[in-house]
Amino acid sequence: MSWCGRALSVGWLPVIAGLLAGVGVATTPAKAQNYPTRSITMIVPFAAGGPTDVIARIVTGHMAQTLGQSIIIENVVGAGGTTATARAARATNDGYTLITGHMGTHAAAVPLYPNLAYHPERDFEPVALLAGTPILILARKDFAPKDTKEFVDYVKANTEKVNAAHAGVGSVSHVSCQLLNSILDVKPVGVPFNGTGPAMNALVGGQVDYMCDQIVNAVPQINAGTIKAYAIATPERNPALPNVPTTTEAGLPKFQAQAWNAIFAPKGTPAPIIAKLNAAAAKALDDEGVRKRLLELGSVIPGAADRTPEALAALVKAEVAKWTAVLKPAS
Amino acid sequence: MDLFANLAHGFAVALSPINLLMCLIGALVGTLVGVLPGIGTIATVAMLLPITFGLPPVGALIMLAGIYYGAQYGGSTTSILVNIPGEATSVVTALDGFQMAKQGRAGPALAIAAIGSFFAGCVATVLIAILGAPLTKLALAFGPAEYFSLMVLGLIFAVVLAKGSVLKAIAMIVLGLLLSMVGSDIETGVSRMAFNIPELADGLGFATVAMGVFGFAEIIRNLDAGAGMDRDLVQKKITGLMPTRKDMKDSTPAILRGTVLGSILGILPGGGAVIASFAAYTLEKKLAKDPSRFGRGAIEGVAAPESANNAAAQTSFIPLLTLGIPPNAVMALMVGAMTIHGIVPGPQVMQKQPDLVWGMIASMWIGNLMLIIINLPLVGIWVRLLRVPYRLMFPSIVIFCAIGIYSVNNAPVDVVLAGAFGLVGYWLIKHDFEPAPLLLGMVLGPLMEENLRRALLISRGDWSVFLTRPVSAILLAIAMGLLVLAVLPTLRRKRDEVFVESEG
Amino acid sequence: MAETTGQLSGGTASAPGARSMTGASIILVLAFAPQLIELMIALAGVVAPMSGRGPLQVISAHASALSIAIPSLAQQYAAGGKTSLSSDVLLALIYTYPLIAVAVFTFMVRPRAPQDYFGGVVLMAIALFALWASSDLQGMRGFSFGAGTAPRMFGLLLLGLGAAVAVIGVVTPGAQLATYHWRGPLFVSLAILTFAVAIRPLGLLVVGLASFLIAAIGSQETRWREALIVGVCLTGGCALLFPYVLGLPMPLLPRFLLQ
Repeated sequence: MSWCGRALSVGWLPVIAGLLAGVGVATTPAKAQNYPTRSITMIVPFAAGGPTDVIARIVTGHMAQTLGQSIIIENVVGAGGTTATARAARATNDGYTLITGHMGTHAAAVPLYPNLAYHPERDFEPVALLAGTPILILARKDFAPKDTKEFVDYVKANTEKVNAAHAGVGSVSHVSCQLLNSILDVKPVGVPFNGTGPAMNALVGGQVDYMCDQIVNAVPQINAGTIKAYAIATPERNPALPNVPTTTEAGLPKFQAQAWNAIFAPKGTPAPIIAKLNAAAAKALDDEGVRKRLLELGSVIPGAADRTPEALAALVKAEVAKWTAVLKPAS
Repeated sequence: MDLFANLAHGFAVALSPINLLMCLIGALVGTLVGVLPGIGTIATVAMLLPITFGLPPVGALIMLAGIYYGAQYGGSTTSILVNIPGEATSVVTALDGFQMAKQGRAGPALAIAAIGSFFAGCVATVLIAILGAPLTKLALAFGPAEYFSLMVLGLIFAVVLAKGSVLKAIAMIVLGLLLSMVGSDIETGVSRMAFNIPELADGLGFATVAMGVFGFAEIIRNLDAGAGMDRDLVQKKITGLMPTRKDMKDSTPAILRGTVLGSILGILPGGGAVIASFAAYTLEKKLAKDPSRFGRGAIEGVAAPESANNAAAQTSFIPLLTLGIPPNAVMALMVGAMTIHGIVPGPQVMQKQPDLVWGMIASMWIGNLMLIIINLPLVGIWVRLLRVPYRLMFPSIVIFCAIGIYSVNNAPVDVVLAGAFGLVGYWLIKHDFEPAPLLLGMVLGPLMEENLRRALLISRGDWSVFLTRPVSAILLAIAMGLLVLAVLPTLRRKRDEVFVESEG
Repeated sequence: MAETTGQLSGGTASAPGARSMTGASIILVLAFAPQLIELMIALAGVVAPMSGRGPLQVISAHASALSIAIPSLAQQYAAGGKTSLSSDVLLALIYTYPLIAVAVFTFMVRPRAPQDYFGGVVLMAIALFALWASSDLQGMRGFSFGAGTAPRMFGLLLLGLGAAVAVIGVVTPGAQLATYHWRGPLFVSLAILTFAVAIRPLGLLVVGLASFLIAAIGSQETRWREALIVGVCLTGGCALLFPYVLGLPMPLLPRFLLQ
């Protein structure tokens, strides 16, 4: 059983620590300087192929070239990514175990999971913001409102009647829709699905009225006319969907949401290592090939000012506060 | 005609050396994964996904698809040989397949499973090519209410396929439903009956429970004194490897019906393939002149569900290829693979990526051909494995199962749970409860609850939706009819028994 | 649930006349199984510290819960359902007391189909336990299901079905209890447990062979030289197959050798 396993593994730790103590202390500065000397493990708390995983793979692929060591992606799924994030928080803080977290694991999880085994601000060193995936307001193709303004009025007038789909508690589509609902001050019936695939299927099939989802899944459906998009919740229009207005243009400026993805290291990882990783990530984000692939996905690449660890720390802090305000009353 | 041009194009893509190689690798890995107990397709595809990033997208997807349907071929092998269903879809195969193996007819059982799968695979591939687009409408017409009714129908199938008491079979289904409630609640995310064990937060795994109540329980039972004699007998009894003329004659209609059922139900995302195999078995049992043969080694009981699950595995690609929406977890991983290659599948994927779509369709036919060529000669090897003395066989199965379960989530707790379910399974055997309805209840339980809740959310608590929506009403009517058919004979028999007793 | 089946295995070899006595006492043990299991876990916690209640706390909490369960229910009823009962009291009320009643009932009747009767009773126990485990979950909220609605619905359904199976077992003649054996279940479980506990610290090569040999004790027919050879070959084969051919990450060697 797990506690036996844990007890045994903990039992070995002092022995190993004792053996390595003398060597370890002496070499720590040198270690940071030569970092990395072996391959780095990057935990991705979602299934391979998901938006976060794809972004992590594209960026770390380039970072590995810069750092001269391979970066092995380990997909650990479960409990909305919080299982893996808790594991990363407990990992050795030597820079060889990192995690690509996102809006859910490092912000919205705080109000959603009361027994969360970590805190995004206290248990992690922010490393670098990678890319954000814009969020769209989507509706079934024969939903009555024609634009965002009509949508807002319609939803407010018919709260009792409309259904909002989402991809499960804690998913990006769930929390961003909660944000939209709190801005509109409505509480429509939320219909939960198991992942974005089934939710999109229901929207295409006309079983539900609207949902908020990341751009990656939605672009082909919007272009084919099987669903429609009212607005994109970013300050600027997206090249993948040039005809979809921003929420600001459409008269809903308060609804700003992005599923941001960022690299974090366990608390206490030496600053020189963080700096090295941050520089490698920044270099990757400036690379033409990387940029092209990220833009193809509809992602938004952060500008120079948003790429520092300090900026990421501020982002996490602001996001935790933002989602706590939105989700606490709901749950 | 357009279709032939498209298919010709598809074959040109699929027959390129690199894609042929990918298809073969996929088929081989799929067979291996299907044969090894515990290791599921989802885990393997997830594991192999990163490797495919270096390959051209068409080749990568051909390989991943090969693993998916290859596992359907392999999955029947352990069901038949050692009574361990590796996938939910091969639970039913174990019912008659394992009995055939006990009677020394493992060879014909394995061969008919492969032949049925091949036939079904070929038909379903053609179906995707011709009717893919119109059939998509079926997937879209199924809302929560229809899914709930389909799940009810699926559970009724499990009652019908029970050998013994109907009441006990229903009790087992409900026990399965109850077990499936463990984990997170879909609507609120609250943890239910998980006792703060992190490994239970996402629920009990199918592999964990199936390994326990089928695999480990079977081993423990065989170790009971006296059971050893049976095993030796089996080894002496092994007769021919290939099905006889009579077997073929008995199986042909079963394969045809299984293929039709599987092709239709496979299109429905989520649970379609599982229900298909149960439905095919139930249909055969109801149509048979002597239903009592089922559960005692009827070859139709292997042929029908195996054809159905393979047909369903093929047609489940339809929503992915025509809508760009992944109908199950394996397909979602394939979408991931496409995304990484810069292809985001959508409704226009057929027009925009003809190489990919038609290449994959053609490769499915080639893959099925490869699979039958791989699997028929393997029958001899598998049957020879049965000659290994049981005293060496059973510890090996224990180790394979333990590794398999551990590898799904790298969680030792899962292995302990499987062991506990082994004891539960032993207890079930001792009290004459059947594990197959329990497993079906477990697989369909969450789907049933979720869709019931969705349907009621959308209808604002109005239960009449299940009757006012025509498809849902028809499904429920069929379910009621089947239940009456299943219960009537028992009631009549009970009455006869009472009658006899009072006379005597 | 594993534990409950383990305890049932005691009631096999008794004479038919004394059956209901043995059966009743087994059901009595089953009635207190959750409390006993928590106590065992708490005792294990003394050796390997972990979170949770200590053994003394467990004993006192359950003892008081069992004794005050009925009064506190009456009190709650008097207060108009405003006060909430503790989880221990609920366990006593929902699970233990009904099963004690079943045990008393078992003592009084002589089931004509013991196989069905005891099967049904255990299903009832599982259902009651599930009802307790889901008692803290939210119920219906207006028209929408709460987290606890479906578990409770299925729990009640299983309770009814278990009772029906048991009642039929009392009324209509049927099969006797099958004989349970201890050797196979014990050593196969032990092998599985060994694998689970030791795979991470000791690795596949050590654990695979150890589990193989432990499982092999489960059969009287085992020949040791042969088992050892096959075990070594099999473990070696697995060590190549799983991590290398299938690419499944799995520790091969003991952790202390790697560090």
